[in-house]
Amino acid sequence: MSASNQFDAIVVGSGISGGWAAKELTEKGLKTLVLERGRNIRHVADYSTALKDPWQLPHNNRATNADRTDQPIQSTLYLYDQSTKHHFVNDLEQPYGQAQPFTWYRGYQVGGRSLMWARHVFRYSDLDFAANQREGLGLDWPIRYADIQPWYEHVERFIGASGENAGLPQLPDQILQPPFEMNALEKHIRKQMAVKFAGERKLICSATAVLSREHNGRGPCQGRNQCARGCPFSAYFSSNGVTLPAAAATGNLTLQPDSIAHSLIYDEARKRVTGVRVVDTATHKTTEYFARVVFLCGSTLNSTALLLNSRSSRFPEGLGNDSGELGHNLMDHHNGGGATASYSGLSDRYYRGRRATSMYIPRFRNVNKREEKFTRGYGYEVYTNRGSWTRGIDSADFGADFKNEITRPGEWSLYMEGYGETLSNHENRMWLSPEKPDAWGIPKINVSMKYRDNEKAMAQQMMEDAVETLRAAGLENIQGFNREVTPGSVIHEMGTARMGRDPKTSVLNAHNQVHAVPNVFVTDGSCMVSSPTQNPSLTYMALTARAASYAVDQLKRGEL
Amino acid sequence: MGHAAFGQVMAAFAASPRKAGFFTAAEMGTLQTVVDVILPATDSPAASAADTHYFIDLAMAACASAEAQKTFRNGLAALGKERFASLAPEARVMLLKTRASADMPLPYDQSFFKILKDYTLTGYFLSEIGATQALAYERVPGGFQGDLPLAANQKAWAL
Repeated sequence: MSASNQFDAIVVGSGISGGWAAKELTEKGLKTLVLERGRNIRHVADYSTALKDPWQLPHNNRATNADRTDQPIQSTLYLYDQSTKHHFVNDLEQPYGQAQPFTWYRGYQVGGRSLMWARHVFRYSDLDFAANQREGLGLDWPIRYADIQPWYEHVERFIGASGENAGLPQLPDQILQPPFEMNALEKHIRKQMAVKFAGERKLICSATAVLSREHNGRGPCQGRNQCARGCPFSAYFSSNGVTLPAAAATGNLTLQPDSIAHSLIYDEARKRVTGVRVVDTATHKTTEYFARVVFLCGSTLNSTALLLNSRSSRFPEGLGNDSGELGHNLMDHHNGGGATASYSGLSDRYYRGRRATSMYIPRFRNVNKREEKFTRGYGYEVYTNRGSWTRGIDSADFGADFKNEITRPGEWSLYMEGYGETLSNHENRMWLSPEKPDAWGIPKINVSMKYRDNEKAMAQQMMEDAVETLRAAGLENIQGFNREVTPGSVIHEMGTARMGRDPKTSVLNAHNQVHAVPNVFVTDGSCMVSSPTQNPSLTYMALTARAASYAVDQLKRGEL
Repeated sequence: MGHAAFGQVMAAFAASPRKAGFFTAAEMGTLQTVVDVILPATDSPAASAADTHYFIDLAMAACASAEAQKTFRNGLAALGKERFASLAPEARVMLLKTRASADMPLPYDQSFFKILKDYTLTGYFLSEIGATQALAYERVPGGFQGDLPLAANQKAWAL
């Protein structure tokens, strides 16, 4: 091994989790190599579309037939257009198998999906961490809120999030900058809900990793709501703009793009992983890199695939897979139930700027009272605006009066959808096809996942509660919906290398450490034991920081 | 189309004088007339003043399904047969109203009028003229103010 291939730590992946691992490990003095399979994207300098006006983008920002051919899956995402498409993979070059329909949205580049994420950052509570144990479903989390609470604080202080604390036990209060202002309709709904639901259902401004105030030289948000292009004002949290620069500032970071982790190198005698085999995306050459500790942060399916592809006589079914659970228990949220509505009042109120977040109704089902039809719950994202020119597209009208009408602000309209917990199920899973390697020799990933009875019953109630809430708030033309959702499409895939207390039933311990290989940590979504209703990224960040602190401690004690 | 092609496409659209690539000169003549019936000059310029018909020529070739492209060409041909561009303004409106009632029940790809509305509005309101003169547009709003009184002359935001 050459000295240039030797590090203290290797982090696989540079997205939300990998950026945090890089920051924490380098700040604690570890020479750290961050491997990223995709190309480099430099903060600001490479945000090539960030400040383009619609008319400066091809086809006024419309996706083309050629785009849909190259990116048949990615192009179905609401975020996908000419200004963002380069942050998503070419599906033809990166195939995966769908034994059941599974939509896998991916960003293979430095920063990963932290560049395009929806930025909602809520904490989980003990209602979530204790749920599996209380109900005898799935596996118990090996941690509780008290274990992660200081790490939520640690993360929130650094990333700078804005929003409103609900003051509810099921959605713990956070360290937040002041929220973005509600518009007139949202203020109206909030008041009506306070009267009609006596605090049980509340409308708040979502906790969001978007700065409403300047923070550590970043931001504040300039109201563009074009975050997924990359932010020239560093106003939302991304690895590129926040954690990776912090890691680089220590002098301990080596960031290596265009490098696919093929497998982990296992030393049978020492019972430790000694490094990572890496394929250069351009030359297809394999190089080995060595370190005392390895963090897997490549996103759920890819980190799990890396473990499954790391086979040895000790681990014939994949590294750390003594339990047989590796690749199983895949979860995502489901968001099929919701409602739309309009409101003819408040026509004398408007807003200025484009707010880069939603309003939120925290979970209220199965909190104080047990539901009969389903367990767990959901929170709603709520979006409102006044009609724009787009309302003219579907109308039969045209001409001068039509033009005058649609260039004025239209009626208020509202869209809300629930985000519900999905129960862990052994049959929801991913596996590899070693006989079908991709262009870089990495086995193809296959996925099979479906939503089951509990999710379906919950989605129906999501719709009914949305309609009931909007009726109570006095909205008009209320239309509930309960649409079919393809797993994966909420982009919260998680759970395929779950934490637990018992090596017989879980892959990772309470510190995200592979039970049988203590110098390997997995801190992205694959570690999740359940999929609470809240957006998961803040929890990945907190678990990553917590695991990094523990790993450095253990290194110092000579335990790794 | 790869990211590297951005510049080429933008250069193609910025090229002056404009030259149609997808539609014939006769089709472009009808198209120019019809987009101005949809969005005529008011206190802001008409659709053709923002080169909406050239936008449609480029964008429809790149973005529309083969079926929608065919529907649209047939629709232009039908208007051409009626000598749409030579009709008096009232007659143009009458003809397009008839077309609208016939087309509104049809699925998008088979509805000339729906495709026409979609491309005309997208082309115009997201053009520099449409966004900044017919509507209100701020590239960098500078922040978010949630609840303001609506000024009497306030246009809707383009984005």
